[in-house]
Amino acid sequence: MAEVRIVTTPIAIEPLQHYVATTACGAVCLFVGQTRNHSRGRSVRFLEYDAYIPMAERELLRVAETAEARWNCRVAIAHRIGRVEVGEASVAIAVGAAHRAEAFEACRYCIDTLKQDVPIWKREMYAEGACWIEGDRVVGSS
Amino acid sequence: MTPEHTALQRPMGAHMPVSGGLHTSLIAGKAIGCTAVQLFTANPRQWQNAPLSGDAVRAFREAQEATGVRFVCAHASYLINLAAANEVLERSRDAFRAELERARQLEIPWVVVHPGAHAGQREDDAMAHLIESLQRILEETDAQHNPVGIALETTAGQGSTLGWRFEQIGAVLQALGKHPRLGACMDTCHIFAAGYDLRDAASYAATMAAFDAHIGIEHLKVIHANDSKKPLGSRVDRHAHIGAGEIGAQGFVPLLQDARLASVPVLLETPEARKMHAINLQRLRCLADGQPLEVQVTVLFFGHYRDYYPAPCVLMVPYGATVRELAEQLAAQDVRLSDLLQYCRFAMDTEYVTPDSALVSDCELAVLPPVSGG
Ligand SMILES: [Zn+2]
Repeated sequence: MAEVRIVTTPIAIEPLQHYVATTACGAVCLFVGQTRNHSRGRSVRFLEYDAYIPMAERELLRVAETAEARWNCRVAIAHRIGRVEVGEASVAIAVGAAHRAEAFEACRYCIDTLKQDVPIWKREMYAEGACWIEGDRVVGSS
Repeated sequence: MTPEHTALQRPMGAHMPVSGGLHTSLIAGKAIGCTAVQLFTANPRQWQNAPLSGDAVRAFREAQEATGVRFVCAHASYLINLAAANEVLERSRDAFRAELERARQLEIPWVVVHPGAHAGQREDDAMAHLIESLQRILEETDAQHNPVGIALETTAGQGSTLGWRFEQIGAVLQALGKHPRLGACMDTCHIFAAGYDLRDAASYAATMAAFDAHIGIEHLKVIHANDSKKPLGSRVDRHAHIGAGEIGAQGFVPLLQDARLASVPVLLETPEARKMHAINLQRLRCLADGQPLEVQVTVLFFGHYRDYYPAPCVLMVPYGATVRELAEQLAAQDVRLSDLLQYCRFAMDTEYVTPDSALVSDCELAVLPPVSGG
């Protein structure tokens, strides 16, 4: 049973880890994505994440359940939206599996698919102005 | 008779909830333009119901007077099975007697009831129970001078239900000597799921010819207009909004424009009463008048498009329009939206769809530029 969550407050990583670490687990793989202080040569003050929440929840669940079925593992994902300070976690993925190979592969699948399909967007806020990040493109007011 | 004339003349409306007392169904119905209302006169999922209070009866009659709703019918409890074999049979008969008594008090002319289910009996035995139930109850209520009519509803044939073949309803009417207080209710979703097509002039004509041969058009007292989530002949009963199901909006036109049925009341039993009954009713009136139908789409923008459109946009598009056509319509209205088809993906009601998908009535369409979560 996968657990996915979209949150507006700092991500608590330990509960995710506990959620996936059953006694059948030989490996727990944890991925944390955090926000950088610079992007494409500009210094970033903070980030804002926006989501199409009902769909993002469904898509996150789909990603997690697909990984669970394919690698016989347990998956928990939390994604933060709203204002996120530099150095804070924007996403955390925990995978518990029997062996490390499945845990790594499933975790990688989750973050890669999330970045492809889950309707969440980030906006980089600079000292002056802000830009939307859309895939590889930087779009916006300045 | 012109189509405009039929739409004016025929009582049209919906099954209305009775949240604040029975009379509120009429008031809420009137507020959304109903000239006909169907209601449950008691909780349809329980056997025992307290008798109506004098106040409730008075409030109902006053509301009918005040609202001018021209046609009212009651829908009997779902628990009632007048074709049952065991102890459910007597309970059903008692509950149905109570339905007819409440309708009499409220001056409601028809109670719609499902013919029941054989639930493991031989079909002939179940039909015999149904006929005997109706015979007894008609005799008793005739003796009491209760004028309320019984409209047997066509069913989808789900599980062991009776009445999904017109022959079955016809056989009951026949067996009871076409009693004047006995009639039929035709539900478009149910007959479609039971295998009777009505989506074009030819199939509709064939379906009504069968109805007339087995039941008799003159016995049709109430029409339930519901689209069907399930395909023709699926025998699964799932009501959909008008135009949002397998029958489709145009599939209602032959029925709504049939001059032989011009005075038969039409009632919706579609989902989401509060939000959607007014819209579905409007659709039926448009179709009856031969007007083209439009569907309402709520468009949500994300990424940088949110800077232009922070709030959802409600648009009307022609019935059957695709996501691509909607994107073209948006591009024509705002040059900043000219690249949507090349640049964005789309989701209808939170599922990714291709540009060639047809827009479903009342959907939420999200415009999704490349994502950047993580
Ligand atoms: Zn019905």
